[in-house]
Amino acid sequence: MSLLLKNAHIICPVQKIDDAGFLVIKDGHIAAVGTGAYSNEQSCDEVIDLKGACVSPGLVDMRVQSADPGAEHLETVDSLLAAAAASGVTSLISLPDTNPVIDNAAMIDSLLLRSSRSGGPRLHLYGALTKGQNGKEMAELGMMAEAGAVGFASGAHSIQDSLMMRRILTYATMFDKVVIHHCEDYQLSDKGEMNEGETATRLGLIGIPDAAESIIVKRDIELVRLTKARYHVAHISTAAALDEVRRAKAEGLPVTCDTAPAYALLNELAVNGFNTAFRLNPPLRSEGDRLAILRGLADGTIDALASDHLPVSQDDKAQPFGFAACGASGIETLFPMLLSLVENETLSLSRAIELASTAPARITGISGGSLETGLPADIICFQPRAAHRIETQNFLSRSRISPFQHHPAFGKLLYNFVGGDLVWRHDG
Amino acid sequence: MTTNTIPAPVTLSAKHLLGIEGMSVMTMHQLLDRASYFADHMTQDVEQTLKGSTIVNLFFENSTRTRVSFEVAAKKLGASVLNISVAGSSVKKGETLIDTATTLNAMHPDILVVRHHAAGTPYLLSQHVDAAIINAGDGRREHPTQALLDALTIKRKFGHIEGLRIAICGDIANSRVARSNLYLLGGLGAEIRFVSPSTLLPPSIGDLGVGVYHDMREGIKDCDIVMMLRLQTERMEGRETPSQHEYFNLFGLDSEKLQDAAPNAMIMHPGPMNRGVEIDSLIADDHERSLIQKQVEMGVATRMACLEALYHSMALVK
Repeated sequence: MSLLLKNAHIICPVQKIDDAGFLVIKDGHIAAVGTGAYSNEQSCDEVIDLKGACVSPGLVDMRVQSADPGAEHLETVDSLLAAAAASGVTSLISLPDTNPVIDNAAMIDSLLLRSSRSGGPRLHLYGALTKGQNGKEMAELGMMAEAGAVGFASGAHSIQDSLMMRRILTYATMFDKVVIHHCEDYQLSDKGEMNEGETATRLGLIGIPDAAESIIVKRDIELVRLTKARYHVAHISTAAALDEVRRAKAEGLPVTCDTAPAYALLNELAVNGFNTAFRLNPPLRSEGDRLAILRGLADGTIDALASDHLPVSQDDKAQPFGFAACGASGIETLFPMLLSLVENETLSLSRAIELASTAPARITGISGGSLETGLPADIICFQPRAAHRIETQNFLSRSRISPFQHHPAFGKLLYNFVGGDLVWRHDG
Repeated sequence: MTTNTIPAPVTLSAKHLLGIEGMSVMTMHQLLDRASYFADHMTQDVEQTLKGSTIVNLFFENSTRTRVSFEVAAKKLGASVLNISVAGSSVKKGETLIDTATTLNAMHPDILVVRHHAAGTPYLLSQHVDAAIINAGDGRREHPTQALLDALTIKRKFGHIEGLRIAICGDIANSRVARSNLYLLGGLGAEIRFVSPSTLLPPSIGDLGVGVYHDMREGIKDCDIVMMLRLQTERMEGRETPSQHEYFNLFGLDSEKLQDAAPNAMIMHPGPMNRGVEIDSLIADDHERSLIQKQVEMGVATRMACLEALYHSMALVK
């Protein structure tokens, strides 16, 4: 069974293709890719004329929290994978903050088995850094790695104990897996409700200084210098932390980082009016921080863009701002917001795909992120410039709170192939 | 001070009174004029402009003076008043907040007077009820009627607010009174200074157009009014000042520090006072210098003007 995608705009950051061309899928794999026209069209069982639409590796969302198990009313593996399929994601890596926490091999086994029954996009898992995310005892990193964990992550928690962090980084080097850390100094962020600054002062909300993030980033980088572990800063949000990462990279340390669309496209002023959809952790930062994030995305200091999907209930959001839960649904806004960054000329299309597909796959060591022949056909076809608005009632995710509600957005997904199987297509 | 023409009930451009920020200077003056009229007629019967209305005092935080002040104000204008105290529900935090609001809404109150320990709560409630909402203090954010009564007290004492030099001293970080007063008194043309230890100042406060001082004597120098704030021990984390002893020494108001203020400087305090912590009793009780009792008295007149303005404005829309 072979399928030709012709008259396509091929984007492959790995092979540095960004041109009109074609791609052939055969037996679930990429059989041919190139610029210009395919010479052997008649040999293909099926042909789709894309009329100039883009073909790229599917998105690899490296920061997704599932609510399954534990809070299935907010998200199940099935609803998450359906939302991913409709949003151009072909692989996603789920964080361990479920209930119970994914901190042992049996949890990894069970979730991988369940997702294999669902089909659709590929679900990968991170193992927790510490047991029950308690920050005190190391989880069974080795056995989780054997069971298929693609990396280790602290979820929404931050390891405060420097010795604990050093031990984790040292231990993780044995398995050559990345350690992903949410960086937050709990003393500095204590009772914090939003970014520290004039807006917080006017709103009477308690501020969280940027140093709450950068202090931990800086400490961790010192520990990477000691341990040489592969280390990744999750959802980086401040210029100060970004400077630390930039220096570490210049030094050649194995440090990477990602951010989420909210930190690239929104700032703390959104909190005016106390709409709790804008309560995130880390908080929406200053405009200066946002501009630094945009520079970091463009110049490569930020390696990846991830959705930071976090299911939160309506009840937990219908609260006074300071009592509301942090987080928002993100998996269905990653692609449109990524393309907004292309539309506003922050990123080239190729760089955008690199950020949300190639780099996350490389950092976590999973397949995807490339159109090289022989690889599984995890491919999306899309029109990048179709304008629309985000409307949360259209989400397939059960979690429908988004800071991008009614926000202008770009892009129309036409097809999503995972391993050559069509998992989603646009109607009409 | 008596006015010759009776000021009319004030028409507001917004349905709710959630804060001073964003209020027009004209509205500020109108509310103060109307409140001043009520202050002149405290012991007489006034027109029952709230007759037939239902006003609910919904207090999620303990309060006696503010709640009673609103209740007296409402009753003087002929309203039926319901007091609901939900204080102590901090275990459930805001969990029951929306439920409480929707339940109350079904009883069709005209005005909800809301106090809550979380900033922004009146905004949240305003999205779930049909009644007009008066913010009677939301966390650290605003306490608009307190600022209005402070302004009224000052205006009736000095005859004007513009050009006055006003020092607001103490725990600025945790004070909703400081924020509302900055917007109101600053908006009316006074020079506002915040005098506070650096640990009790919110970040970027200087960006709001206020002079910031860490030395009490320097801060209150030549000021016409020294407004002391209560040390909000319940909102503090115990790391802001070494001790109440040091705090009183550096930032407590006593007759010695007061010498640097303008010769006839007046003392204000929104209450309740921590005597011996932020203010010396000798000064607090000095009727020559202290406007503190006057402030309480003006509270009723101010709240009459505010409640009336909301009810009046709603009637115009209907």
